Amino acid sequence: MKLTETKADMRGRISAVSGDNHFMNRISSIGITEGTPFQTVRNDKKMPVLVYLRETLISLNRADAERIEVEKQ
Amino acid sequence: MTGSIALLGQPNSGKSTIFNNLTGARQHVGNWAGKTVEKNEGSFTYQGTKYTVTDLPGSYGLSGNSDEEIITTDFIKSGSSDLTVVLVDASQLERSMFMLAEFARLDKPAVLVLNMMDVAKEMGKKVDAEALAKKLGIPVLPFNATDSRDYEKLKKLISDELKTPHRLIVPAPAEQADVKADSKSKFDWIRELLSDVTKTEESVYKMSKFDRVMTRPILGKIICIGVVLVAFLVAMLIMMPFMGIGQMIPTLLHDPVDKLLTGWNVHPWIVSIFSMMIPNVLYFTISMASFVFGVNIVFGFLEETGFLARAAYQFDGLLSKLGLQGKAICPMLMGFGCTIGGACGTRVMDNWGQRMLAMSIVWAIPCASIWSIIPVISGMFFTWWQTMLVCIGILLYVVVTMIVVSKVFSRKLAPVENRSGMIMELPPYHKAHWKHIIKEAFFKAWDIFKRALGTVTLVSILFYVLSFSKDGNVDNSLLYRVGTFIEPVTRFFGMGWQTFMAFVSGAFAKEAVLGTLNAVFMGNNSLMEATFFAKTAPADTALLGSVMSSAIAPAEALAFMFATTFNIPCLMALSTTYKESHSLKWTVKVALFYICNALVLSCIVYHIAALFM
Repeated sequence: MKLTETKADMRGRISAVSGDNHFMNRISSIGITEGTPFQTVRNDKKMPVLVYLRETLISLNRADAERIEVEKQ
Repeated sequence: MTGSIALLGQPNSGKSTIFNNLTGARQHVGNWAGKTVEKNEGSFTYQGTKYTVTDLPGSYGLSGNSDEEIITTDFIKSGSSDLTVVLVDASQLERSMFMLAEFARLDKPAVLVLNMMDVAKEMGKKVDAEALAKKLGIPVLPFNATDSRDYEKLKKLISDELKTPHRLIVPAPAEQADVKADSKSKFDWIRELLSDVTKTEESVYKMSKFDRVMTRPILGKIICIGVVLVAFLVAMLIMMPFMGIGQMIPTLLHDPVDKLLTGWNVHPWIVSIFSMMIPNVLYFTISMASFVFGVNIVFGFLEETGFLARAAYQFDGLLSKLGLQGKAICPMLMGFGCTIGGACGTRVMDNWGQRMLAMSIVWAIPCASIWSIIPVISGMFFTWWQTMLVCIGILLYVVVTMIVVSKVFSRKLAPVENRSGMIMELPPYHKAHWKHIIKEAFFKAWDIFKRALGTVTLVSILFYVLSFSKDGNVDNSLLYRVGTFIEPVTRFFGMGWQTFMAFVSGAFAKEAVLGTLNAVFMGNNSLMEATFFAKTAPADTALLGSVMSSAIAPAEALAFMFATTFNIPCLMALSTTYKESHSLKWTVKVALFYICNALVLSCIVYHIAALFM
């Protein structure tokens, strides 16, 4: 499923990230890479998705979060 | 002897705090050659040796193609500095080591600073700095940015390393052609390094009660707006004493300077430059700098505590429609108070194009001065409920202007393909370091003061020449001649020469509008005095109202109000935008857009209103 489809408190792993090089560089430099365990903290309609990973709370705008596939743990 | 070092680190790694505490007042802000990216340089002296410090710009990594990242990579590669101090956040070690992984490939002398050791300790995290140093082959310094003893250690380390530099002995992460594989290789490299240095735990995150409220979609937004309004009031309070002092300058200096110079038989024209214009330029610049000071203290506080990141999260969705991102919300709300504050506040945005776009959108927001003159002028022509309608109309047109500005400029400034949506961390709430915030605000204010003085003086001289008349009568000024000469044109836009002149002076300072109207309609004091002494000698608005309402039609008044509100903000806001964006070209472009927008708007409003009034 997509990161935008997860519910608050769900824990899982990032399974696939896709996008151009610019996006891939940005997203991986903040720590979002395939295989990273994460926890969705908040996911409200029309709001950025809040995820917790690598000991950091990260806010991701929805368009970018759409491009991140995750699997439930 | 001299040495040169550079600071490298991700956002929230405490880089600016360390930079400021190392260099103190010995800082200077410039530009990277040929780029609009700000270059922060400073220096400190340790045991007789002077060290220059360069704060490297950039975001989370070095592989992207943003100007900031290219500048940083080139700077390190070129060997322009003898040593790079790489900063990482000890409380989020795995993630923030990414910068070191990027740096490793450049193979240059370095030291690693483990910042936020205090936070890591609080979280119960142990980091074995010695083990890490052994693996890396460069010194690793555990650091706490609020502890002054740590700075002494850092300075000593820098001085030692310049004598016997160390490079990483661990091989850099293997390079992969594909970005995905390359990032994996970097994080594998980090994992390997940290394997017996610290434990990265997979903990469950529990949001604090406060954060749970702050991140609620509607309540959170209301709180954000409230906090920014309070912040604005506080900024005004901080500014007031300085501004009060600034305000006294014209009154205090006028008579003595006038007497002194007249006594020396200096020509009266030159006397009035020194007795009237220069003191007022000082006053304008001091007000501007003190506002920047206040805004920076408040913003510094909101940023350091972590509030700004929450506000950005709240408004990201809305602002991305304008080609901006969440971080632009605070400067925009600040713009209702003062456009200068808004323009300065865009510093929180890391992408230059979006920052310039944000500044040009902030220009559309009517500042407190506009809100103070519009009801006065409107009240001369309309009833109270019509005045309400005027204000509502202005607010609605603010939204229209924002959308138009975004449509016109975002294609160049923030094209969709490299528009960066907001990906940011929400740092845990921190206590604010007041000393650091005040220091930094002072540097910024001082910097603006120094640089704006020239611009404001230049434009003031221009306005002085235009409004100058030998006998103090408006009819003999160049502005009057030009004004009446082009009146047929300005009439088309809905303004006669008097209102057009007030419109022009409004571009200089919005407070000057009433004074100018007073000068041109009543003819009892010179235009120059009206503009420069607008605040010290308030116009008699009741009398002015009766004269004006009999001299000009309500339709013209309406057109004039819209034109003044949506014209370029004041000279000081313009010069701040130029100083902040480092781009004269874009400042002029946006200014031309606003002037055209104001004239077209005035034309439309006048011709439509004339049908009904």
